[in-house]
Amino acid sequence: MRGYGTTLGLFEPGRGFLYRTPLPVKAAGSLAVVVAVVGWRSPAVVVVVLAFTGVTLAVGAHRSPARILRMLLPALPVLAVLALSQGLMTGGTRAFAVAGGIAACLLAARALTLTTPLPVLLDGVVRLVAPLERLGADPERFALTLSVMLRSIPYLAGSVLDLRAAARARGLERNPRVVGVPLVVGAVAYAPRTGEALAARGLGEHPEEE
Amino acid sequence: MLEFDGVGVRIDDGHPRVLLHPLTLSVPERRVSVIGANGSGKSTFLRLINGLREPTTGRVRVLGDDTRTAGRRVRRNVGFVFTDPLSQLVMPTGREDVELSLRTRRLPAREHRARAEEVLDRFGIAHLADRSIYDLSGGERQILAFAVVAAVEPRILVADEPTTLLDLGNGARIRRLIAGLDQQVLFTTHDLDLALDADRTLVVDDGRVVFDGDPGEAVARYRDLAAATCTTE
Repeated sequence: MRGYGTTLGLFEPGRGFLYRTPLPVKAAGSLAVVVAVVGWRSPAVVVVVLAFTGVTLAVGAHRSPARILRMLLPALPVLAVLALSQGLMTGGTRAFAVAGGIAACLLAARALTLTTPLPVLLDGVVRLVAPLERLGADPERFALTLSVMLRSIPYLAGSVLDLRAAARARGLERNPRVVGVPLVVGAVAYAPRTGEALAARGLGEHPEEE
Repeated sequence: MLEFDGVGVRIDDGHPRVLLHPLTLSVPERRVSVIGANGSGKSTFLRLINGLREPTTGRVRVLGDDTRTAGRRVRRNVGFVFTDPLSQLVMPTGREDVELSLRTRRLPAREHRARAEEVLDRFGIAHLADRSIYDLSGGERQILAFAVVAAVEPRILVADEPTTLLDLGNGARIRRLIAGLDQQVLFTTHDLDLALDADRTLVVDDGRVVFDGDPGEAVARYRDLAAATCTTE
């Protein structure tokens, strides 16, 4: 597969205090952003939280304003639809609070994943769900599920780019089915293939099983 | 040591057919190649070894363990390398993928990084540790696939057409890599030079092992089979 070289939404090496901040502190910060946005639902709070996440990313991860805005690009169509529908139904202020709040949450989550290596993130998930082990849950499986989910994002994004290129090569770029149908078929085939690869490596098997 | 005792595979997905006819053999050799046409049953044979596929008749024993009843222990002992490394690599970078493999060993988290670096260094790809897997060349990805599997130190390594997607230079890199591995290695291949590197070669045709022995003779037999198929068509 060609057409993309980076993984979306994952760790990028860099400098800044966010890289040195322990995962629980960053997770608590991200959660605080979500609580503020959902709890107050006011445009003023959204402005403050947006400014906070933007400045934190700029200072704490040394990202330029342009790069921070680019982080929101993949979500832009959804945010635009949300803002439009909210604007029509409840007015501009509410539309800003909803779309801006989601953008702030996305930036907060991105600050976490951008500055935390995936193995550290997975270890954090394992620690977080460790209490559930007493109920029979396997924390390693939670971590593995998260990693597979994160892995599937760039895979599907790459599939879209490849299928679009293939459609253009056949002069069929105006037909959405030419991309949509093989994308769905490819995604369905990707699932068992990934499962087989994990099984072959013994990943996801419960230590007590045999 | 691998033992196949009357092992056969049939499937019935509306069109019942035999993927592998009953087969009995022992495999003590360190390097074993399996050659044959596409769809002949080579991959089915390999998948039986780490329990990715269960036999419908007979049983496969790996170091004494039955793949059907001791699957987890078998998979700890048998590493599997797929034809397309992108099917196999789960994490964004090589270092992270090796660390993911090491999670199955329940090591302290701080040991993962050191062990991952050691493995990547051993395979000569330490400088690629933090590169996205999508930015690596086909050969680099395949070496990484071997590294992530070897990281957990399986005693047997199985590779399904490891050079099929590679150019001549990268194919040669993988040949050298396989030659230098400590493990017992079984591989399927269409690269007849690679097949000749083995101590023993099986030729599979239409779900049957039609030759089992010296690699040179096996390759000659395979060429005869391919020529006969072309003539028939």
